[in-house]
Amino acid sequence: MPQATRTKKPDVKVVILGDMNVGKTSLLHRYTERKFKDTISTVGGAFFMKQWGPYNISIWDTAGREQFHGLGSMYCRGAAAVILTYDVTNWQSLAELENRFLSLTDTANADCIFAIVGNKADLTDTRIQGPDTDGEQVDERQPVVTCPTSPAILHKQVSREDAIALYSHVLRYKGLEEKACLPADKMCFETSAKTGYNVDSLFESLFDLVLPSILKKRSEGESSTVDLESPMEVKTNKAGCCS
Amino acid sequence: MPSHPEGILESSDPTSEENPRTQDHQPDLQKLHIQSSETDSGKASQDSALDNGHDDSGEFVVTMLARSKVEEQGMGTKDASSPLSETGTPLGPPSHRNEDVTADSWRQHRKHVFVLSEAGKPIYSRYGSEEALSSTMGVMMALVSFVQSGDNTIRSVYSDEHTVVFTQRGPLVLVSVSSSRQSEQQLRQELLYVYNQIVSMLTQASITRIFEHKKNYDLRRLLAGSEKILDGLLNLVDSDPSILLSAVHCLPLASSLRDSLSQILQKSITPNLVFSILIAKNQLLTIVQEKTVIEDARLEPSDLHLLLNLIGASSAFQAGEIWTPICLPSFNPDCYFYAYISYLDPPECTVCLVLLSTDKEAFYSVAECKRKIEEAMQTQNALNSIAKAHLYSVSQVGVSDLRHFMYKPFDVPDNHRQLTQFTSPEMEAPYSSEEERMRLLDLYRDMHSRIHSTSRPLKLIYHVAERETLLAWVTSKFELYTCFSPLVTKTCAINAITKLLRWIKKEEDRLFIRYPPKYSTTPNPSKSSKSDAH
Ligand SMILES: Nc1nc2c(ncn2[C@@H]2O[C@H](COP(=O)(O)OP(=O)(O)OP(=O)(O)O)[C@@H](O)[C@H]2O)c(=O)[nH]1
Ligand SMILES: [Mg+2]
Repeated sequence: MPQATRTKKPDVKVVILGDMNVGKTSLLHRYTERKFKDTISTVGGAFFMKQWGPYNISIWDTAGREQFHGLGSMYCRGAAAVILTYDVTNWQSLAELENRFLSLTDTANADCIFAIVGNKADLTDTRIQGPDTDGEQVDERQPVVTCPTSPAILHKQVSREDAIALYSHVLRYKGLEEKACLPADKMCFETSAKTGYNVDSLFESLFDLVLPSILKKRSEGESSTVDLESPMEVKTNKAGCCS
Repeated sequence: MPSHPEGILESSDPTSEENPRTQDHQPDLQKLHIQSSETDSGKASQDSALDNGHDDSGEFVVTMLARSKVEEQGMGTKDASSPLSETGTPLGPPSHRNEDVTADSWRQHRKHVFVLSEAGKPIYSRYGSEEALSSTMGVMMALVSFVQSGDNTIRSVYSDEHTVVFTQRGPLVLVSVSSSRQSEQQLRQELLYVYNQIVSMLTQASITRIFEHKKNYDLRRLLAGSEKILDGLLNLVDSDPSILLSAVHCLPLASSLRDSLSQILQKSITPNLVFSILIAKNQLLTIVQEKTVIEDARLEPSDLHLLLNLIGASSAFQAGEIWTPICLPSFNPDCYFYAYISYLDPPECTVCLVLLSTDKEAFYSVAECKRKIEEAMQTQNALNSIAKAHLYSVSQVGVSDLRHFMYKPFDVPDNHRQLTQFTSPEMEAPYSSEEERMRLLDLYRDMHSRIHSTSRPLKLIYHVAERETLLAWVTSKFELYTCFSPLVTKTCAINAITKLLRWIKKEEDRLFIRYPPKYSTTPNPSKSSKSDAH
């Protein structure tokens, strides 16, 4: 059974992936600190612990830079949920999810759940600023706080349909039956770290969705807790040299 | 530092010890070599008799290069400088540029730094976008390859106002265009820092591999997002004497407190942990090292500077716990350590713990070390004590005309090589403003370049300037730079230095990390990660 010193160990792991500059750090910052502030491109990965009811949820904010690409699968190891993040104003950032990031999730749990998140929705949100909308239905669960001096509206390069298509690609890649999985419309989010739009609902619905995974692990007892902590493969090259 | 300069002052000839740097005269304290502030000896810029007229084309660098002398170093022959115009280098006409890089303000930056690939692809520019500057970089590259084709390596170019220093490291060419009046040697060292910071992110092996594979690879793909780290480094280079002195500045701390912090680090270990570093206010508190890993190597000050810069350049570090690969180029340019970085005093975030492991997968066990360290520090109320630690004021030395100093001891304990350190008080009035601080640093830089001049190294400089008097002194035991009020007499200054050295001796337990402690986390000594460092 877990010892007292282990109580702060994570019960479950959530990983945020996506190209640099899409706003991964900003999203996490908005959620944990309720703020939008200047960020600096993340190096490696940053580990956060979030108390969710009686559970400790660990969140890894990873670097999107190509420089750190090799580390992605390490951060994903044993993940119960992966947040694939793109920037709604940058089509390439969606393409990168499939090209570059999807394969990193091979090390995640077999029952890992995926969320597709289009961030920077504030840049294309037209509901307040004009009728130039592409018929986008925006989730109403949270009020949109729009900056009164909004900059010029940017062209939305990624539609919700594109994101939904990516979601089914992800399931196919994982060899999962679409019918047996969480539905795409529930797992595709559009958010704004800047205004806070949809950010809480993204994290909180995801946390609720990983609860079964926690319970399953708990019922399996101590061994699975240890599994999360310890590397799956033993490195022969302890020196860490990359030659 | 067990051995100590005090004894030296009492000997009749304080500089009689052998000093490999000095080939010429050995002045003693009573025969000070006086150089007035106007003297600008040793500066090659004086040699170039080129017209000073301002030119209105946008091609700042091109023009400067075209009107300057080029100093080449042959592969064996030390060729005389030849004006570039005579070589017939085909410098193209000025090409179009973005407004920002053609502006006067762009040219007037004190120090530009450019990094480009051997194929001439821009990688980094301190000011202005690399895209906008690609033609400038192209010209630089043309120049470099032109000289290379003649079996020469271009090293530096001097004009009235600027010094241009080129250096090539593997497939990267680094260029410094500076009006700071620093020596070529100093500028070259700074470029080496820039190179090493890039290596710290990518490793030398992978840079080499990338360019072997594809000669015109755009390295910005891999460095995108790292510009702020390089910007931060260059600001550090300009504003912090640590890099000039190649030494680490540690925060003054009662030795009992420092020892107990070291012990906490020593006790909180896990396999493959190799360095535990505690930093407060961007200065070193203590560092504990793995025994076997450092048998044949130690952490160089430059590696620590690069590490500190990486930490400081990223405010993102202040939330959460970071786990990131980092290469320490002087330790081993081809291999990564995995750095765990976490602040111990959120939300202030002034006390930072850095744990370096050789095991990529060790995050959770290393994070566990942090919990232990945190706990132990809590029981000892160590954060409180650390918060009280601060730089000292020069007034504590008790020497009236002394305004500031930098003291770097060379002495090394008998049994293990030490981390090179220096000590320096806070910069106080009249050096509290940004400009004045920079001016003093420039004076120090000038003294430093004269002390370390390759053509005519000096052991002692007594420099009477308009607003202050400086005395620099290097012996086999230490390097010392002092700044006095302008009215000080030579005798006064000498007495002051005697007092200062006594004071440092008395305080050295507090000012320096005396014996960096060690631990053993690697059961098998052959696991030493130092495979091909030198
Ligand atoms: N307008 C707008 N800007 C955003 C939003 N989220 C992030 N940004 C901006 O986008 C830039 C990148 O944000 P980060 O959160 O650092 O991006 P990241 O994905 O963590 O990037 P890496 O750490 O390099 O992988 C910053 O300038 C943010 O201010 C958003 O919702 N709206
Ligand atoms: Mg980030």
